[in-house]
Amino acid sequence: MIAIQKNNTLNLARLQSLIALVVLCIIIAVLSDKFLTMDNGWNVLRQISVNICISVGMTLIVLTAGIDLSVGSVLALCGAITAGLLKNGIKLPSLDLFIGFTLLGSLLAGIIAGGALGLFNGFVITKFKVPPFVSTLAMLTIARGLTMLWTQGHPISNLGAPFSMIGAGWLLGIPVPVWIAGVVVLLAIFITRQTRLGRYIYAIGGNENAAILSGISINKVKLIVYGIAGALAAVGGIMVTSRLDSAQPNAGTGYELDAIAAVVIGGTSLSGGKGSIGGTVMGAVIIGVLNNGLVLLNVSPFWQQVVKGAVILIAVIIDKGGKKK
Amino acid sequence: MARKIVKYLLLTIVIGLLAYKSVFIIKLSELQTIEPKAFDAPAFVQQLWENKLPALLNSALTLDTLQAALKVSPAQTFDSHFNSMSIGNVRYGLLKVTGKVLSVNEDDVEVLFGSKDNQHTVKIATEYVYGNALRDASRLVNIKDFVNTTDLNKISEELNKKVRTKVLPAFKGTVQKGDSVVCTGAIELNQAHYSLDDLEIIPVQCKIIQH
Repeated sequence: MIAIQKNNTLNLARLQSLIALVVLCIIIAVLSDKFLTMDNGWNVLRQISVNICISVGMTLIVLTAGIDLSVGSVLALCGAITAGLLKNGIKLPSLDLFIGFTLLGSLLAGIIAGGALGLFNGFVITKFKVPPFVSTLAMLTIARGLTMLWTQGHPISNLGAPFSMIGAGWLLGIPVPVWIAGVVVLLAIFITRQTRLGRYIYAIGGNENAAILSGISINKVKLIVYGIAGALAAVGGIMVTSRLDSAQPNAGTGYELDAIAAVVIGGTSLSGGKGSIGGTVMGAVIIGVLNNGLVLLNVSPFWQQVVKGAVILIAVIIDKGGKKK
Repeated sequence: MARKIVKYLLLTIVIGLLAYKSVFIIKLSELQTIEPKAFDAPAFVQQLWENKLPALLNSALTLDTLQAALKVSPAQTFDSHFNSMSIGNVRYGLLKVTGKVLSVNEDDVEVLFGSKDNQHTVKIATEYVYGNALRDASRLVNIKDFVNTTDLNKISEELNKKVRTKVLPAFKGTVQKGDSVVCTGAIELNQAHYSLDDLEIIPVQCKIIQH
């Protein structure tokens, strides 16, 4: 009986997000005739693809009761590294050598850099017991500074047509970023539902002490999770850089907040242990539709921020209310 | 044990293959012969400044000719004498003014010019010289000749630097209230709502004709 009740509560929570999305779509569609068009639909999907990639990584972290505030800066740095290596390679005048990077090489380098930054976050959190909020806040400024150093404060542009395909291209009638986000989501669902790592992530977030007593190597799991989140931020950075055909030193500013918002709206508990990748995707779609709707309705950017903040607040209040019941 | 060896062997092969497909190494000296030379903005601007700009300055509009042209056909005036590489209504053109210095300020020199019944003031920028006014007003740079906007921006930077280092020091150091001056430079006008009041000029040539 209790199990059935729990299941119903979970389904209701998922339904709440869906209902919110449908209501949002209806309101915007009534107010703007441009909303329910194919072009706008693809545009929204293309825009939320980046947030989905970051949010999936953030969900894994939040499920372990952690947080990562550095994803926006890591996104910018990895986008810049990818663009810089692709365009300029590495020159070693003392050895009279030039190390050039192919498209594959620069993409791998960007993703590896993201993973390494994430691992560093995880290392600081697990080894020195620094709260995730503080250590990732530090990484936020470090990564932004490194981006400025790498780019010298200038955009790195004209990265070539093959690279532009990643962010702006189409494959089988669907934008490439949507394919990438889809693959990321499927992999994350597989990890959280079908693997031992997934079960450990939920166990750590649910009760860290119990997880330790169960023999789970929580440090190792956290390292992996922060590493994955860093690599996914890098994927987001590559998509943004590709779409703009330019690595901007100030790219990704505030993206961590959109990612956290998607996670929270999607029903993942900030205290860890509860939530799902599906919920986060729903949250990212709600934020994407909300952003798009506010632009279509010509709402001032200042008011857009107020509305987004209010929506996050309402989502958390509803989530808290649901838990009390 | 054998399984582990196979696993690591396969992993090494995959990593090796990825590395092989990811990176290429050549001699830097060879690359420099293949690589197209970077755009040399200072040399390009030097060429413009010395060989092309002086002739254009001689054909710059005076206030009277500009007013007359705007009266007849604003669209044609903007088409023939103004230019911009950006979208929007802001256009840049070259104007020649002869007048009396009203005041020498921290950021500019204010000059009264025009005939008795058609007097205007113009501010000659002497401190903040920036933007694309001079590059666009000169009409000497074709956007199609450049593959990226960075190079185009560098031209503006270099032109503005020329103004700051070649034109302004001599003028700023000697100009006084009451002097008669002749100045040619770039002005900005909005083609949708143009006004000849409160003009600011980015000077290319400034002479004091009477102290």
